[in-house]
Amino acid sequence: MILAEKDRKSEEDALEKMAKMRHAIETIDLNIYYGDHHVIKGVNLAIPEKVVFAIMGPSGCGKSTMLRAFNRLLELNESTRVEGDVKVFGKSIFKMNPIEVRRTVGMVFQHPNPFPHMSIYDNVALGLKLNKLVKDRKELDRIVEWALRKAALWEEVENKLHKPASALSGGQQQRLCIARVVAMKPKVILMDEPTSNLDPISTKKIEELIYELKKELTVVIVTHSPAQAARVSDYVAFLYLGKLVEVGSTVDMFENPKEKLTEEYLTGRMG
Amino acid sequence: MVDSLKVRLFKEKLFLIGIAVLTISTVLPLFHIMFSIAANGIPVLLKGGWDFITGTLAPPGGGLGGIGPAIVGTFILTVLASLMGLPVAVLTGIYAAEYPNSLIGRATKTLLMVMMEFPTILVGLFVMDIVVLPMGSYSAIAGALSLAIVMMPYVAVYTDEALRNIPPKYREGAFALGLTRFKVVFRVLIGLARKGIMTGILIGIAKVAGETAPLLFTAGGATRVYFAGLNRPVGAIPLLIYQLVQQPYTNYHEIAWGASLLLMLIFLAIFLPIRLSLKEVKL
Repeated sequence: MILAEKDRKSEEDALEKMAKMRHAIETIDLNIYYGDHHVIKGVNLAIPEKVVFAIMGPSGCGKSTMLRAFNRLLELNESTRVEGDVKVFGKSIFKMNPIEVRRTVGMVFQHPNPFPHMSIYDNVALGLKLNKLVKDRKELDRIVEWALRKAALWEEVENKLHKPASALSGGQQQRLCIARVVAMKPKVILMDEPTSNLDPISTKKIEELIYELKKELTVVIVTHSPAQAARVSDYVAFLYLGKLVEVGSTVDMFENPKEKLTEEYLTGRMG
Repeated sequence: MVDSLKVRLFKEKLFLIGIAVLTISTVLPLFHIMFSIAANGIPVLLKGGWDFITGTLAPPGGGLGGIGPAIVGTFILTVLASLMGLPVAVLTGIYAAEYPNSLIGRATKTLLMVMMEFPTILVGLFVMDIVVLPMGSYSAIAGALSLAIVMMPYVAVYTDEALRNIPPKYREGAFALGLTRFKVVFRVLIGLARKGIMTGILIGIAKVAGETAPLLFTAGGATRVYFAGLNRPVGAIPLLIYQLVQQPYTNYHEIAWGASLLLMLIFLAIFLPIRLSLKEVKL
């Protein structure tokens, strides 16, 4: 009895705290359609700044689709339609230029996708160079090193910066992708199941990296693994069949899920 | 009744033998062509020596001379056709790949397919009408334009295919970095598709280096002058072979065999690297 009350209190506190924080990303009645298929159904979500926010749910629940709406990558596919609004730091992304959105909101993908025909250095430098974010070669060198250090990759590639990126292992390639995004100094990084193709050791490295990254920016990570959500995130949203079932602080939701669906998912009886 | 295993194994053997025989009969003509060109051409090249490549044509009935003007002409026509055709073709391929669902994109793709199979002599006629007649003379420019038109659909289709074969994750990755569509295509995707595009370019070049029909009414041909200007007629090896074979002189027929061998060698020199590079095309 007392315990339950205490739980409720801490939950309320957490939600209150969440509401007070500045929101990195906010969705308002977000609906997404693939042709006639209604994928995301009226999701209202507020993601606080400088936290790791996990979106979890079984495969096919629309997690990745929703994530791709946050940096307007979804519109590359002509058959998608987005209704409602997404705000990044209070500003509607649909009133911004998609390029501006993507510079603020970076992304790391499920399959490591460094450009295989470019060197490790060029992969990190590309966005900076093409977006004209650096003045000279010296500054570029500095930021590339800084980004590779942030991605905990510098020591491994220091001596082969000009070798092709395709020569790296899967885990290294994924960290290179993180370096590539970090170099652009985004305020939010979206990660779409970044470790689902990696071995446990590489996964651990990436997860440690995520923990480091949240000191400076917001990480929104999509995962189908509740265990990963529990390990890395501060807040978690549970998505099921395109609907937001439950959202809250990770500790609260894992210890005391409010919805029956969430409980079933967390205990492995579903998904 | 179920066939016994023996009968089925026998059927299989028969089937394999059948396929082998048909395969051989398909590729046999190719080897025969190559063999007869080599058998007739090698003696001519040996007899003519270096002069056969650099010299000008001998008079009817006497000696070999050389096919220098035709070799130079083929080179000039191919380079000019590439300069005219390749940029347009690559851009067209990019357009078709980038806007596959737009009306113009779909129409472009269909038209390219039609162009690939279009009778090349009609291209020659068209260029004669718009360039040769107004200029009043056969010319290198007219020949090159005709070849450029023949070359374009191959290069465009290969470019389109090469770009479409890039796994979407690279496209998405490039867009996610906040690059404009122009930069995504020209700084990332073209690089990824470079082998496929190069293959298309080489196939286009190999194709036009051996074309005769588009040149008949456009390039005119030249046997004694290497190059007199872009607005003057030029020779080309295939065109020369076509013209020589029609002449009633045995020495001209010999020269035609020699020219054929050279043309075949040039074709193989372009084509073999393509095959080898195709093997490498992996993403």
